[in-house]
Amino acid sequence: MERKNFLRSLLIGAVSTPVIMDACKKSSDTAATTTTATGGSSTGNCVVAPTETEGPFPTKAPASYVRSDITDGRSGYKLTAKITIGNSNNNCNALAGAIVDIWHCDAEGNYSEYGGTGMQSTNYQSVHFLRGRQTTDANGLVTFTTIFPGWYSGRATHIHVHVYNAAGTSLKITQIAFPEGSGSAVALVNGYSKGMSGYTYNKSDNIFSDDSTGIEIATITGSLSAGFELKMQISVPA
Amino acid sequence: MEKSSIITLCYRKIITINNEKPWDQLVFKDSYAELKMQAQYYNAKNEFRTFSQLLQHAPNAQQLHFLTSAAVTPYLSQLNATMPDISNNLGRLFLKFKSFRFEIINSDFNDIEKHSVAINFFSEELYLLNQIGSYLLTTTVNSETDENGAMPTELFNIPPFLSICNIKL
Repeated sequence: MERKNFLRSLLIGAVSTPVIMDACKKSSDTAATTTTATGGSSTGNCVVAPTETEGPFPTKAPASYVRSDITDGRSGYKLTAKITIGNSNNNCNALAGAIVDIWHCDAEGNYSEYGGTGMQSTNYQSVHFLRGRQTTDANGLVTFTTIFPGWYSGRATHIHVHVYNAAGTSLKITQIAFPEGSGSAVALVNGYSKGMSGYTYNKSDNIFSDDSTGIEIATITGSLSAGFELKMQISVPA
Repeated sequence: MEKSSIITLCYRKIITINNEKPWDQLVFKDSYAELKMQAQYYNAKNEFRTFSQLLQHAPNAQQLHFLTSAAVTPYLSQLNATMPDISNNLGRLFLKFKSFRFEIINSDFNDIEKHSVAINFFSEELYLLNQIGSYLLTTTVNSETDENGAMPTELFNIPPFLSICNIKL
């Protein structure tokens, strides 16, 4: 297309657009059942307003994180995580009513999707797999049912923990490390199908390597067949 | 029937403090509360006041779109897979959605009035049968014809924030 014709076609477009909008405005003046679109800016585009029996009525619902079983169909060896939160400003006595978020990777070493750039599946319940939230009881305890985490390059096996007070203010962001060595759960699970070639052990992990006293390492009992139980005490300033 | 294009419609539903419907308000308030909780992970020193500052300065803060969406997914389930707000020319909600994407548009961790989010609803696949004036005539790809060879159709106008987001020719 020649430049002149191209410019002319732009001009025609500019002139014809208001005509369409006027035509639409006219119909909305005469027809009582039309309205501008809900949620849209008023550009003169008119559509029929929803005209239906009211409902379904929404009910207040907690974030999908709030559940004790965070497995969401991910396969792996069962892990029961029992995390006790203490108050470091009160002799580490149990902290009740604290909100505890945990998240970790699946057997292949993947987290539920970050970024939100792609379309997400209709199965809303499982979008946030292996992420959970519980509130501590009078003993400061929360319990999650999940799978034993896999591993990915550069990191030792770990579970992320974020502790908030009841109002949602952050008290501590930390990670739970796993014991290693022969007979340990890490050795028994053996990296699932990946094996342990290239695994980063705690002493080389850039988060856990400064934990010389092992304060970040959980106690783990159990077996592949019966599942494992993780116990961890975390103290936070509340 | 002539060969028709298969289209997916997307509706970007913007929710701000001015939305009055109960569902919109629940999404608005709960997404704000969840964002405030989750944002602390990226804002440990409390240096940043707005979502846009976090995106600019805090590594991986774009994860907050996904992390905050957990406050919204329970409300999506309550819609029974029906897209809100968008009605056909009979005034009925008619679009079924198959997937969604949640986005935080803006927010201020100290001022809920500046919070705004969008839910992008993506429809199931539709045959685009015809355009009649400013209306589109569609039918779902799995529509079955009745004994007379007729199939159900939908006729609707395209309001702002509804678009055809992909097409198979």
